Formats: sequence, structure tokens, C-alpha cells
Amino acid sequence: MTTLPLFPAIFTDMAGSVLVIVLTVLSLRYAYLLTRREPDNFLWGFLFYFCVTLTVFAISRAMGHLVKQVLLIGGHGDVWHGLAPFSGGLNTLLMISLSAVIVFYHKGVEGYQAIRAKALSLKDANAQLNEAADQLRKMNLHLEERVEARTAELSDSEKKFRHFFTNSMDMVYFCNAENRLVNMNRSGLEMLGYPVDDPPPLGLVDLFLHEEELDHYFDSMLKDGFIRDQEVEFVKADGSVLYVHVSANGVFDESGKFTGCEGIAKDLTRVKLMMGQLAGSEKMASVGQMAAGVAHEINTPLGVILGYAQLMMDDFDSDTEERQNLEVIERQTKACRKIVADLLKFSRQSESAREQLSLNEVIGDVMAVTEHTLNMNHITVHRDLEPDLPLVIGDAEKLRQVLVNFINNAHHAMEESGGGDLYLETRTLPASNEVAVMVRDTGHGIPEKIRAQIFDPFFTTKSVGKGTGLGLSVSYGIIQEHGGRIEVVSPAMKDLIDEQSPGTAFHVYLPIHAEENSDVIKD
Amino acid sequence: MGCSKKVAYNSRQVKLMTGLLLLLPGLIVLFPVQAWALQTHGAPEGIIVHQMAHVFYFGALVYLFWDLRRTMSQGRGWKFLQIFCLLMMLWNILAFVGHQTHLIMDAADFSHEFGYLSSMMLGPFSATKLINYFARLDHLILVPALIFLFLSLRSIYRSTAEGEDS
Repeated sequence: MTTLPLFPAIFTDMAGSVLVIVLTVLSLRYAYLLTRREPDNFLWGFLFYFCVTLTVFAISRAMGHLVKQVLLIGGHGDVWHGLAPFSGGLNTLLMISLSAVIVFYHKGVEGYQAIRAKALSLKDANAQLNEAADQLRKMNLHLEERVEARTAELSDSEKKFRHFFTNSMDMVYFCNAENRLVNMNRSGLEMLGYPVDDPPPLGLVDLFLHEEELDHYFDSMLKDGFIRDQEVEFVKADGSVLYVHVSANGVFDESGKFTGCEGIAKDLTRVKLMMGQLAGSEKMASVGQMAAGVAHEINTPLGVILGYAQLMMDDFDSDTEERQNLEVIERQTKACRKIVADLLKFSRQSESAREQLSLNEVIGDVMAVTEHTLNMNHITVHRDLEPDLPLVIGDAEKLRQVLVNFINNAHHAMEESGGGDLYLETRTLPASNEVAVMVRDTGHGIPEKIRAQIFDPFFTTKSVGKGTGLGLSVSYGIIQEHGGRIEVVSPAMKDLIDEQSPGTAFHVYLPIHAEENSDVIKD
Repeated sequence: MGCSKKVAYNSRQVKLMTGLLLLLPGLIVLFPVQAWALQTHGAPEGIIVHQMAHVFYFGALVYLFWDLRRTMSQGRGWKFLQIFCLLMMLWNILAFVGHQTHLIMDAADFSHEFGYLSSMMLGPFSATKLINYFARLDHLILVPALIFLFLSLRSIYRSTAEGEDS
């Protein structure tokens, strides 16, 4: 083979040029469609500009080749030689441009992809953040529900304990580490007599009357952490004593340090009073039995002595010494019988008549006899009698004796100070279905140490010969016999305490008789 | 420490130096030589620039291929684009070599005795002539390369509709 035909090359060149144009245009179309579909996609932008440049280059080159082939086929080689530098130069320029687009644009793609990767990363992070926020929101919602439920529980609990604290009839208190009261309920302040709305700052040391009881309280609190059923005496605002039963718990922090205490104190004053009254009643009952026995035993010999003395008196003239001696015996024997009779009254062994009567009338009868004497001794009588006082069942004579005893004692108490005021008061107590009579004086009062003994038989503060000590004992027995009770208050007026004349008040309570029957009931 | 020593000039010396500086342009005009102010572009420059453009284009395609391999391994469209790059690199080499062989060959190697369409490459055939001959058939590589470009873009376009390649 000595020659090679160039026709295949010419044909391939021409056909290839046409195909190149067609293929680049078709490629450009898809690149364009890509940019239309996603205008913001930088990668498609690169492909589009790459295809544009490639298409321009391909068209330039292909057209150059076609023109060349056509001109050469047509025998216009000289024309082509004139055009060739321009075509070649343009092709060179476009090839360089295409290269530049590839390099620089693709660098841009890199940047875009880096940004996109960051954006995706941010998007993922944002999605995760949203998811976390969503979870947090759900948790928060759930938390809110839980908090609401817990708050409602706490509110109920707080209400319950607040209600208990506020409405407890016992004293409830809270102390801090210095044993200062930080909170005390209304009942406690009322028991202590402090103003409920604006109580003064108080500490336990201000409440405890006895120092040894306070020491025991502190010792038990620090040693055991609690105190159970300690009977203590508190000092009230007015200085009087409040008997209480205290139970308390210490409050300690995590390190075991004492931070305060919380306690409950129950008022025992009334219980103490009742216990005292019960003990007094039992004592008086036993004394009464003894007195009744003694009275019976003494009454008979006294009767014999009185009888024989009176018989012997008939044997002597009235002006003889023997007769006078016998009269002394008779008089003293009668005095003894009077005492024995009083003892029997105290022990309720004497007879008594019972009828419906008004205590106002009984007081009127007594005052008719005694008021003159009282006035003579500068004692002013004040009456405060309830007009429609219910009737009671009783022995008018014995009740008069009771009132006379009280008035006599009042007279005696005010005698030293040269007079005073005697208050007589009657009133109805519907709650207990009783009638109350009060006899109050402004005398020297009853010292605390003898207050428990005043109803004992033969106990008296009067000088010898001025009293037998049976007056209050007999009165006690009579009121007991009538189903009533006696209370003594001394000093009588707490708000008007006068140390010189604190006064004494006797309160007699008798049951109201329901039936309107004036028939006399004989025992 | 580079402390320079200041030299003081009087007014006469200053005036002399100023005069000499003003005289220099006049001396240059009076005694001209070849200045080479504008570079000329001779005949080989066109082909050299063109060949350099091929090299540049080849380099750009290598970079694109490398980057596509690195970042766009997923999807058929990107695979087609990589094939396009390879074929275009091959075309560049062929075109470059074709241009080089054309420089070596001369008009005596061809015969146009029976018209342009009947042109012949005359023997004896050296490697240069054969390479030049095959280089004239460069469209056999260029057209398949553009076919892959077309397939690549079509595939990418279709795959974006399915959300696979984007």
C-alpha cells in the first residue's frame, strides 16, 4: 500500500461535525432543563455553562470544519486559507474558555457543595433541634401537667394542714433553732391570752413558768429528738398559770443540726380543776360520813346531859348558885346540840322540806334580816337579780342558811377594811339548765394555800369563839343535797385586781325544776 | 541597627542635579537604538497557543474527571460524565498529536491530483504519517464522547425527577 485515501477522513470530519453540533445542542437542552427544574442548584448551573461553552466551541469548530471541507471540495482553498486563522483562533479561544469554565466553575461547585454540605448539616442540626424542641415541648407539657397535679396535691395537703393548724382546739406552735416561736395557731394565742392578730414576739422561755420544766424540755429535745406528754405550766399574758400537756418533735437538718421544733399543747386547766373538785368531793364525802357518825354518838349523851340538867334545875331556887351552874350546863349543852345539828346538816342526815322556790325570794328574805347590819358596817349591797328567774326545788330554810353563811363570811372579810361592797347576782344558765347565784365581796380574799380547805369542817380563820368552822361545810352539804355545786373564785375580779381587796366570789349552781308544781315534797 | 548618615547638600549642588535629570530625556531622543516596545507574533505562535489550549483543556478534563471520581461516585449520569471526560482527554491527546504530526509533514506527503475528495496520503508510511491519518479521524472519539455527555445529562435530568442523583 503506497497511498491512503483521505476521503474517510473527510467524510468522518463532515459527518462528525454535524453529529457534534447535534449532540452538544441536545446536551445543552438537558442542562438547560436541569437549571429550569432547580434554578438554585449551583451544580446544574455549572453543567449548563459548561454545555453552553462546549456547544459554542463545538459549533465553532464543527462549522469551521464543514466550511473548510466545503470550500476545499469546491476548490476554494485560497478562501479557506484566509479564513483558517480566524477559525483556528476562535476555536483556540473557545477551548481555553471551556477549560476555564471547567476549572473555575467547578471550583465554584466545590464551594457550593461545601456550602451545601454545611447547609445540609445545618438543616440536620435544625431538624435535630426541632426534634429536641418538640421532645422538650412534650416533656414540658407533661412536666406542666405533673407540676399542676403535684401543685394541686400540695395545695390540698397545705389546706388540710392549714385547716388543722388554724382550727385545732389545742395549741400548735413552731419554733426556730433559737427556740423562738415562729408560728402559733389561734387557739394557742387565745389560751395564752395574747392578741391573735398581732401577737408579740415570744420564745419558749417566755411560756414556761418553771425553769426546770424548760430545761427538761430542751434536754429531751436534744437527746431524744422529741418530748411526749410532759405536763408543764405556762405563763399566760395576764400572769396566771395555764396547765398544759405538751408533746413536741425536734426538726433537724441533713447534718443532724437542730433547726427548730414543732409541738402541740393541750389545755389541762379544766381537767386539773375537775380533778381537784373530785378529790375535794371525795374528801368532803368521807368527812361528812365521819361527822354524821360523831354527831349520832354525841347527840344521845348530850340529850341525857340536857335532860338531867333540866331536871336538877327544878330542885334548886333560881337565885342559888347551883341553879345558875345548871343553867350554864343547859346553855352549853344546847350549843353543843346546835353544833351536832349542823354536823348532821353537813352530812345530810337532817330532815329537809322541798318545794319550788325562787332564789330571788330567798335572797330577799336573807337581806331583810342582814342588810341593816351590813349597812351599819359600811357595806353597800348591790343587787343584780334576774327578774324571771326559774324556780328551783329545795328547802328554803336551808338555802337561806347557805346565803347567810356566805354573807356572814363576806361581812367578816370586809370588816377589817372598814366596809366595802357586796354584790348579789342571779342569772339563768340555759346551756347547763341551771340557776346561778353569786355572792361577791371586796374583802381580803382567800389565800391560795387555804383555798382547798375552806369547806373542811371546823376549818376557820376566825379567832376562837367567833366561829365554829362549820358554816361553809354545812353550806357545801346543803348545796350537795340540792344537787347543786359551789365554786369559789378568789381573787374575784381579775380585771379589777386590788391587792388590798381582791375579793371573793361564791357561785352556787342549782338545777332548774322543769315542772310548775308548788306542792310541798316531804323527804 | 541600620542608622543612615544624612548628607547635607547646598543649593548649588541641588540645582546641578536637577539640570542633569532634565537633560537625560533629550540625550535619549538624540541617540535612538532598537527599543522592542511592542512584541510581535510570528507564524508558529498560533499553533503553539492552540496546542497549549489543548494542554489546558486536557488538564481541565483531568481535574474534572478526578473531582467527579472523588465526589460524584453515585449515579449513572455521573459515570457517563466521567466516561465523557476520559474520551475527551483521549481526543485531546489525539488532536494534539495530530497537530504535531501535521507540523512535521509537508505538502509532498499528499496528492490532490484527482480533486480534493480523491486526495491521497502518499507513502512510504511512517509512524508520523499513520498517526496523522488516524488523527484526522478524531471524530470517531469526539462523537462518542459527546454521546456520553448527552447520555449523562439526560440521565441526570431524569434522575433528578426521581430524586436519586441530585
